[in-house]
Parts: sequence; structure tokens; C-alpha cells
Amino acid sequence: MINMRVNNQDITVEVDGDTPLLWVIRDALKLKGTKFGCGVGQCGACTVHVDGAPVRSCSFPASGAHEREITTIEGLSAHGEHPVQQAWQELSVSQCGYCQSGMIMSAVALLNSNSSPDDADIDKGITNICRCGTYVRIRDAIKAAADSHAGEPES
Amino acid sequence: MSEFKLDRRSFLGGILTASAVAAFPIMVCGVSTAEASEQPVEILYWVTVNSDNSVTCIIPQSELGQAVTTTISQLLAEELEVNWSTVRTEFYDPNTNLDNNNMYVWTTTIGSMSAHYLFDPARVAGAQIRTMLVEAAAAHSGWPVSSFVASENFVHHKTTGKKFSYAELAPLAIDIAPPPADQLQLKPAGEWKLIGNSVDRVDLKAATTGSIQYGIDVEVPGMRYAAIRQCPVFGGKIKNLDDSALKNLAGSPVAVRLGGGHAGYNSPVPEGEDPDLWATPAITSDAVVVVADTWWQAEKGLDALKIEWDEGTHKNHSSRSLENTLSKKLDAPLSFTMSRGDVDAAMKSASRTHKAEYRYPFMDPAPLEPLNCTALFNKSGVTIWSSSQYADEAVRVVAELTGLPRNQVSFRMMNAGGGFGRLAENDFVYQAVQIAMEFPDTPIKLLWSREECIRKSFYAPLTVARYESAIDSDGKISAWVCRAASVQGGDQAYGATEFPFYFPNSLIEYDRSTPSPLPFGWMRGVGYTQHLWMNFGFLDEVARLSGKDPANVYRDLLHESKVPLDTSEYDIAVARAKTLRRVLEETLKWTAWDTTAVPRGSGRGIVVSDSEYYAGYGVSSAKAAVVDVTIQADNSLSIDKVSIAIDCGTVINPDVVKAQLEGGVAYALTNAFHSEITVKDGRVQQSNFHDYPILRMHEMPKVDIKILPGTGTPLSVGEDSVPITIAALTNAIADAGGPRVRSLPIKMS
Ligand code: FES
Ligand code: FES
Repeated sequence: MINMRVNNQDITVEVDGDTPLLWVIRDALKLKGTKFGCGVGQCGACTVHVDGAPVRSCSFPASGAHEREITTIEGLSAHGEHPVQQAWQELSVSQCGYCQSGMIMSAVALLNSNSSPDDADIDKGITNICRCGTYVRIRDAIKAAADSHAGEPES
Repeated sequence: MSEFKLDRRSFLGGILTASAVAAFPIMVCGVSTAEASEQPVEILYWVTVNSDNSVTCIIPQSELGQAVTTTISQLLAEELEVNWSTVRTEFYDPNTNLDNNNMYVWTTTIGSMSAHYLFDPARVAGAQIRTMLVEAAAAHSGWPVSSFVASENFVHHKTTGKKFSYAELAPLAIDIAPPPADQLQLKPAGEWKLIGNSVDRVDLKAATTGSIQYGIDVEVPGMRYAAIRQCPVFGGKIKNLDDSALKNLAGSPVAVRLGGGHAGYNSPVPEGEDPDLWATPAITSDAVVVVADTWWQAEKGLDALKIEWDEGTHKNHSSRSLENTLSKKLDAPLSFTMSRGDVDAAMKSASRTHKAEYRYPFMDPAPLEPLNCTALFNKSGVTIWSSSQYADEAVRVVAELTGLPRNQVSFRMMNAGGGFGRLAENDFVYQAVQIAMEFPDTPIKLLWSREECIRKSFYAPLTVARYESAIDSDGKISAWVCRAASVQGGDQAYGATEFPFYFPNSLIEYDRSTPSPLPFGWMRGVGYTQHLWMNFGFLDEVARLSGKDPANVYRDLLHESKVPLDTSEYDIAVARAKTLRRVLEETLKWTAWDTTAVPRGSGRGIVVSDSEYYAGYGVSSAKAAVVDVTIQADNSLSIDKVSIAIDCGTVINPDVVKAQLEGGVAYALTNAFHSEITVKDGRVQQSNFHDYPILRMHEMPKVDIKILPGTGTPLSVGEDSVPITIAALTNAIADAGGPRVRSLPIKMS
């Protein structure tokens, strides 16, 4: 039995503790915005926040989420109005979109810890894979979001 | 020796049989009343008018990230006169296309051809539907057609100002015969409001909220999940399966054996062509599947199985030995030959000759969304939820597999998390239906792990090419020899043969008969990705040997006087040279090629080409790449900038073009630096992104894109920056004093 707070809602799930958090989020809670790309912590498509820190949920056991606060892309804002999502829309970052939930969650976490990252900070902070190669725009969008003060702590 | 020429223009005749002039059948989804219909009304299978007066465009392609849902909607909406903010999209039904003689004209999502082939059909459909709506307003009101004008989802009466919404007219419009296409007047470019503008992508917001619906996100009540393990050696069989451990596991896991089968072809085949030579069959491997309540439980179930494989004839296979076989093959003449002049004589009289061998490894296209398909088999037929770059084929294949009539196979197209050619094979659809047939009435979602995706892909072909050239006493290239051997696969001769330059004496040979256990597949940029950087790499070598700026060599070669008079497609070849020369000159000016002083340790590479498959195809853009690099003191390479210029004809959405070219640069750099699939003991040795890496943020250079003014039908974009970026990069490395790259992936030492 695992108790978590997911997107500001208390949730209890009955799963084996070693089930990766990703599959709890996607298949038990039906929150499909968080994606599966590699299952081994390489691509970051599955990035969510656990107590505000970015975590690759495919490689994070559900037991580790017990009594903790999880934020997924669905919990970031009600309708895509978070400044990072806004910057993403403004610059039309996405192509297939598959990596973008994870990218946005990683970018939000980066901006939460560093409100005006430079190129080197972005290189270090964004290690997710985008197979469509939207990196140029991701970089620009992070900077644009920084300029609009996206780095306010999550409420 | 004579010149053999492949004439593949019959391809167009064979495939694009549907005519936009044909009278489209009309499907009524709504009730015909004068009131705005409560039900959406579908018109001509291209558009659905909704009760809130918004419009749903039906997209006869798959969305892989190339923004086809946006660009095709722009074409429809332009002629239909709808406000962009009211546009929704939906994917086509393959059976509609198959039932109606290929009415959408081009539904396969390959070859960067959607904008080209759908430019007219989508605009014609938009204009037909608009005309029907206007005629409906006239018939309803009794006023003449000429007194109406359509704009912004309404038909307006010009004198009274009275207006009728599309929603109220749609139920009436479906009873009106669509005007023949040849009687329609499409808008001239000067009047376009949507075409040519960077309107917002239709999925702009959904992409940032995680709400795009991919195949992997499909939820069907009562669904169970399937995880798969295919024989790691291609062509192997299951010898023994012990599933006794499953009974102790949660999620009621059940093991199922899947026999390998023939899941159709990876592209449409023109009439008269042998599909096994023109395209490539998608043959699936024998596999073991576990079906359980959740995918994770199914995966755990696979781990608990004891599977013994009969590894078959390929168990000792290695890609290293295959590479040597290809190289040896080049010792003797090859099957396909194109020659001109007298190469031997030119070699003998040369003041200098040069030789080199180039290699390209197997690669996996690796879209980020792992392969998946959901299937439900019950008494009314089969329903499939999946993405596919070739859904029409998926439907045919599933009809054959199940023995059902085709119209009992329903394919619901989902967004794809990338495609890059991998989804042209419907192997995973075939497997999902095989599994679903074992569990009637239970929807099954098959999802491959990343490891399965990498090990059981359809691969860009291992290729080896030998080059030889002669330089005469004037420093000009008097002979050019390119002899290339690839493993078995689709016809990609164009990569070697459609080099845009002519030499007085030349020999081009090509062979793709060497069998390989790894199946062939399309991969972004196709044959040009394997061959173009080799062609331009060797040309760059020769230019440098004679102390020439490669840009000047291209300038010289792209002169119409260089096109031999006896070339079978002389006019086309001259036009091609002129276009490329123009793009080259624009690029040189834009990148200040002639005036930039390159510091020591830095280098610039340049390439100009199209990627036309066969002379006269008229589908490919003309483009050029300039790559700037610096080799650091520690011998590491930094890419300072990639500049891409393109003439892609009429541009439907400039920002989409830009995005595709930027993304193509990243794809090219992954190919160049990282991608290599190797085989040992019959097994693909790579398994996930740690050993089959994809370019990441810190490796992504600055990219500049210049869209040159273009006219005419839109041309290719999706694949275009891939081959030229690799080529300009390897040439830049040589220019900077680094190694001459003759084998990918690039190793700097
Ligand atoms: S799916 Fe978790 S890092 Fe790739
Ligand atoms: S947008 Fe397709 S993987 Fe990033």
C-alpha cells in the first residue's frame, strides 16, 4: 500500500513496491502525459517531480514515493499556463512532442534551482533525449521562461 | 560501355492513380435539416463541420512530429475559408482510402512527400467543399450563388449582409454534387492567408500539457498488456518454453508463442515492380509474449520464463565479417553499372590519381516512443489503435492475417512519438493482432521495451563504397569512379547514382545483393544518408589534393556545359545544375564563404545537393549546408555552427520548415557521432540509449536556417538536412586539420 500526494491529491495505490513509479502514474493513475522511452533512466521522457526534485520515474520504485509529493505534467498547471509551458508554446518547441513532458518537467526543475541558467547550466541541467532534435528551441525557451521569472517555487 | 538508366517515373503512374477530379462519394453523418446540425457533418471525407461551427480537417497521413496535421489543414482551410483558431484535426480511415481508389492520393508517410503530393488534392477538396456550402446557401435562400461569398466559417450574402454558418449549411451541402476539380479556380498565391504563414501548430498547446494522444496512451476498457521477447537471432525459432514460473506472479500472466510472419511491405509498390526488390517485406521474428494485467507485470513475466531458442542459421553471424564481405565484393564488377567515357584511359593519362574506401554502419531509426499497438478482436472484427507510416498496408495485412474482409478491420490512427522510417513496417501491428486473436473480446496493448526496439528493428543498410579519381594536368577531375555495395534492401541506387555532378569519364556501380540477417528499413534521409557524405567526402578529398576550394569545384561542375549532351534527361539535368548553382551562390554569400578567414584549428565544410530519387521526379528540394567546426587542443571537436539554406518550392509554413531542418541537423549529428548497430554471434549488440546514444543538449550546435524564395509545388523538407549536414561536417573536420572521416560514427583520434 503506497500513499502519495500526486498533483495535490492524496492517493493510495496497491502495487508491488518495486514497480517503477512511471507505471503507477501511467497505468494505475491513468496520467498519460508522463512517457516511457527507455526504462533505464537514459532518456528522461518519464521525468516527474518528487518533492520538487526531478526524478526519472521509470527507474524510481513506487515504494520510494510513499508519503511524498509527486508532480506530473498534468499537475504543473491546469491548462498549460505555467511560464515554461508558455515559453514552449511561444517558441513552438515541440515536434512529435513525445519527449516534451519530460523536458518541461526537467526545465521547470532547473529553473527552480537556478532562475537564470546560462548555456553551460542548461547543458548540464537538461540531459533528456529529444529524438526529433528540438534542442535549439528548448534552450531558447528555457531562457525565455527565465526572463519571465518561471523560477518561482511551485505552489 | 553504355549508360543504363533507371526510369522510375512509372512510380508516379503506378501509385498516384486517384484523380482529384473523381466525384467523391458523400458520407452523411448528420441529419439533414435547415437548422445547424447537432451532429458533425462529414463532407467528401476531407472535412467535418461541427455543430459549434468549428471545422475538423481529416489528415490522410500520420503525424510523426513533422507537423503534417498543421500543414495539410492549412491547405484545406485556405480554400475552405475557415478561421485558423476553429480548426481541429482527425486522422483518415485507411479503409476510406482503399475503398475509394486511393482518393487521398498519398497516404504513406515516407519520403518527405506529403506537402508535395497533397498540395493540390487538399486545396481542391477545400475549394469543392466551400463551393458546396455556397451553393447550399443559394439553394436555401433562393438568392443567386454569385451573391454570396465565403469567409471565416460563414457564407455571407454580399448585399444584405445576412450570413449562414457552415454548421447550418453543412447538412444541406452534402446533397449538392461537388464541382469537378478542373472547373475550380484555386486562389492565386497572392491571395493566400494561411499558406505561407507560420500559423500555430494545431497541437501547440497539447504538446506542452502532455495531452497529445499517442498509441502508447490508448485506454480501452478491460484492456490487458502484452510484453514481448523476440528471438535475439534473426530467423531463429522457439525450441522450448517453460512458463511454469508465471503461476506465482501477480497480474495473471499468460505466455503466448507468436510465429514469425509476413507483415506486408514498407512502401507502396508500383504496378509491374517486384515488391521484394522495390520495397522490403516486414518479416516478424518468432517471439514469446506475456499478457498480464499491467505492462510491468507482463515484463516481469517475461523475465521469469525459461526460453530456449533454436538460433538457426545466423547464430554465428557478425557485422564485421559482413562488412568484409561487402568490401571484397568491390574487387569484382558489380551488378548495376552506369558509365561514361573511358575511365581506364583517363586513369592512365592522369597527372594524379586518388583512391579511398568509405563505410556506413547499420543504424536503427529509433523513434522515442517505443513500438506499440492496441488491438481488439471480437465478433464484429478487429479494431486497431496505433500509429503507422503505412496504415493502408497495416489494414491489408491484418485482413489477410485474420481472414476477415477488409472493412471489418478498423484502424484508428494515433499520433506517433517520432517515426523516421521505422513505422513504415507494420510488424508490431501484425503481432498485436496475433495476440488479440488468442484473447477474443479482450483488448490487448502490445508494447515493446526499448531493448526490443533496438535489437529487432529494420536497419539502414551497412554500406561500403570505393572511390577512385583521376586529376588531369590542369588540375581538373578527369575520371570519377564510385562503386558501392550495400546489404540486401530496398532500391537505394540513387544515393550513388544521382550525384549532381558530371565528369568526362565516370563509372558508377552499385550492388545490394549481399544477404543480411538484419532486415532493411527506411531511415530518415534514406539512401542519400548513406551515400551523399561519401560522395562529397571523396570529392572534397580530391579538391583539396589539387589545392582547390571545394566551393569553386562545385561552382565549376554546376555549369550547364558540364552536362553531357547525350544525357537521357538533358533538360532536367541542366535545370538541376542551374538550381543547385543558384542555391550554392546564395549560400556562399549568406555564409560569407569567400571572405571568411578561418583560424588555425577551425574548419568549414560545404555541400550542395538535392536528394532526388530519379531524374525528373521533381519532389526534392535543393539545399546546401555549411558546417563550422573547431578542433580543441585536447583533440575534442566543437561544432560552432550549422547553416542550412533551402529552396523547397512554395512554403506552406516557414516555421515548420525551420523546425524540420533544425531537427534534421540533430538527427544527422546523431548518425555522425553515435549511431552504429553491430552484430556478434547473430545478436545485435546494442540495447538501449547507453550503447546506442542519441545526441543530447550539450552536443547541439547553433543552427541557422535560410529559406530561399521558392515557387511551385512544395518540395521535400523532413529529411533534407540530414545527408548534407553529415557531409559538410566531415569535410569541415578535414578542413580543420582533423582526420578524413571515411567511416561512421566519427572517431576523432
Ligand atoms: S523512460 Fe525513464 S529515463 Fe527513459
Ligand atoms: S519532440 Fe519528438 S522526441 Fe522530442
